[in-house]
Amino acid sequence: MTAPVLRRPLPGFGDRFAVAGALLIALVVLAALLAPWLAPYPADEVDPVNALLPPSGAHWFGTDQVGRDVFTRVLYGGRTSLSIAVAVLAVSAAAGVTLGVVAGYAGGWVRDVIMRVTDVFLAFPALLLSLTLAVVLQPSVTTVVLAIAVTWWPWYARLSASAAASIAGRPYVDAARCLGVPAPLIIVRHVLPNSVTPVLVQLSLDAGGVILTAAALSYLGLGAQEPAAEWGLMVQQGQTLFTTNWWVVTFPGLAILVTAFAFNVLGEGLRNALDPRRIVK
Amino acid sequence: MRWHKRLLVAGVIGALSLAASACAGGQVRGAGGTPQPTTGENTAAQPSQGQAAKENDATFVYAPNLDVVTDWDPASSYSNEIIAMSNIYEGLTRYNAETKKPEPRLATEWTSADDGKEWTFKLRQGVKFHTGAPMDAEAAKKAIERTMKMNAGAAYIWGAVDTIEAPDASTLKFTLKYATPLDLVASSGYAAYIYDTGAVDEVKDGKADAGTGPYTVDSWKKGQETELTLKAFEDYWGGWKPEQYKKVAFRVTPEITTAWQLLKQGEVNFVQRLNPQLFEQAGATEGVQATRTPSFQNLLVLFNTESGPTKDVRVRQALQYAIDYDGLVSALKGAGQKASGLVPPGLLGHVFGMEPTHDLAKAQELMTSAGYGPDNPELKLTMTYAQGDDDQKLFVTLLSSALKKINVTLQARPMAWNAQWDQGKKKGQDIFVMYWFPDYADPYSWFLNVFRSADKPEFNLSYLKDDEIDAAIDGLPRLTATDAGSAEMAYDELQKKIINEKAAVAVPYVQTYQRALTAGVQGYIDNPAYPNVVFFYDLKPAS
Repeated sequence: MTAPVLRRPLPGFGDRFAVAGALLIALVVLAALLAPWLAPYPADEVDPVNALLPPSGAHWFGTDQVGRDVFTRVLYGGRTSLSIAVAVLAVSAAAGVTLGVVAGYAGGWVRDVIMRVTDVFLAFPALLLSLTLAVVLQPSVTTVVLAIAVTWWPWYARLSASAAASIAGRPYVDAARCLGVPAPLIIVRHVLPNSVTPVLVQLSLDAGGVILTAAALSYLGLGAQEPAAEWGLMVQQGQTLFTTNWWVVTFPGLAILVTAFAFNVLGEGLRNALDPRRIVK
Repeated sequence: MRWHKRLLVAGVIGALSLAASACAGGQVRGAGGTPQPTTGENTAAQPSQGQAAKENDATFVYAPNLDVVTDWDPASSYSNEIIAMSNIYEGLTRYNAETKKPEPRLATEWTSADDGKEWTFKLRQGVKFHTGAPMDAEAAKKAIERTMKMNAGAAYIWGAVDTIEAPDASTLKFTLKYATPLDLVASSGYAAYIYDTGAVDEVKDGKADAGTGPYTVDSWKKGQETELTLKAFEDYWGGWKPEQYKKVAFRVTPEITTAWQLLKQGEVNFVQRLNPQLFEQAGATEGVQATRTPSFQNLLVLFNTESGPTKDVRVRQALQYAIDYDGLVSALKGAGQKASGLVPPGLLGHVFGMEPTHDLAKAQELMTSAGYGPDNPELKLTMTYAQGDDDQKLFVTLLSSALKKINVTLQARPMAWNAQWDQGKKKGQDIFVMYWFPDYADPYSWFLNVFRSADKPEFNLSYLKDDEIDAAIDGLPRLTATDAGSAEMAYDELQKKIINEKAAVAVPYVQTYQRALTAGVQGYIDNPAYPNVVFFYDLKPAS
């Protein structure tokens, strides 16, 4: 009996994609990390006399309404956006994977309770739920992290629950159980490591989405507040100037675009690279 | 407020967006749902078509950025509807911003006696309400008495009135409790309308009105893009000339850039406010005229004098010094001029030479002496300001960046006006930012409403309590009515006390109106006593 042979889609394409995405992300992360050294001006230095200067040698991306250097703020804005993304993903993956693995391993009513709660959260459109939360809480970066994390964890819970459920039925898990290994240890030693791969792919795919959502919340005035450098906030501040002073809104907008795109490319590439169909000859 | 994927969030933040009281900033367009464009007929202006003797059948289209009408009752109305109401209703007098005096409107002449405690107005003859009833002294008396009795909105302006008499059909006599410039009071943009008390209870749904003005309500559809249309009142006492506009429409356009596009295309005739960049563009655009007029509206930064870190006068003075006034005015690019004292230029009591100065070293010194500053623990101050107001945001950005240098963190929170105001009344912040403008062309309201002690603060959001200041404020109306020179001095002294000594407030700038209208319109005068109002009756297309 032979397994059906599946054609390998565009050999190596996924890997190259992933590498390109990873390089782009490395660039964005480096720019954000090195902002204090790369930025030509101090982060919040206002200079109202030189407000709204177009891009030039002195100000590569021009200046905003109070004369702050847009290039500097785009660099610093990367720090805000990336740390929001990291925080959201860490919080939601930790919560989601823990609940999911427990649900998947335990099965029965434990699984039912956890998964129904997850479904309730999934029933709301993510942006709407985040918006509602952000309106109720005080607008700040912490609010953004919480608001997005609340809408993001159920996906990880689902993903890891189904992975864990399939692992839980494997003979080696049965064997461990028969040997009297306590359930928490089984989960940590056997179930968790084997159900985490799809979550990793999902994380890299989601980073772009988180950055976009965070920017959207700040853009709506519910996230980062003046004078913080945050891309969404910068876009919001520049939008009425779009027809007269395009650079105030364009560069932070491009930064959002490039970063979200890079994460998507990386995620897409990783998914292709890890696609089991590709390995079948 | 305004801004962005408005429609996306409208449902969620609907609870936040409410129309504001007339007197203070933070006006946000109510989230009334998606405006539905009407057919083009109301909005197709043809300003260049009319000729002097030709009947003008074009519609003049005004593009406000907020809801047009929030309250139809002429007694309690105290908000954006001033723009429409000023064309539907009239008062006894109207303030002329050029002569700086009240002029005849429903009253043709007036005299005062007994040191400003008795006022007699002669009423115009042959004036009819839109209801058909005649406007005489008895009707005017009833209207003012109803407004006083309802005591809502700006009704306080009649506070000095003791009794009103109508000895004959054309004479209205006021006896006052204390001397007050009643001719000025009667010119107020709020609460001074003369209306038909017999019909006023039926005006709430905007289908009819009870005024005497040149225009009457044609249609009102709350929440629609073309929210309100007005038509000429045929029996208007002033009569009608063929070239005057007989139809007016209000097309709500929250986005400044959209309003500008509509104006350029000739779809609207008047945009009440452009940002400095668009205003500059407007000046250079063919088919558009741009006007710039100093307003009576200034920005007030009120410090909590009652509790929290700003209770210490040194902290308040430090904050005054930390504001970069010149930088702000420069960043406003023509939308504001540096203030001198609490009273804007053009009004009685404006003080010269009280321009504030920015001195961060002095601010740091004061902060240090109060136990804060760079070598001490960080000071956190909370501040609330109007959501969606770009000018206030500039102020916030400049102030927080200056304060950061002296180890003070400003937690500035943009809020919808009603939420900000509610929190202010509960004394929930260290710094409250709002605009103020007078209800009639007089500086009294800056003092009575904003700085007179109050157990339950309404607009006294610095929570200042000072018997001496209260006594001085209470003496202002009498001085204004009887002795302008002493009134000037009293205002001068009060401002020095409130700003310099008590440091209850910082006044960074007075707003400058930057408007644009289609070039084919003649006769527009920007009267700061009636903010954003266009008196459509005065306009005609260029011939």
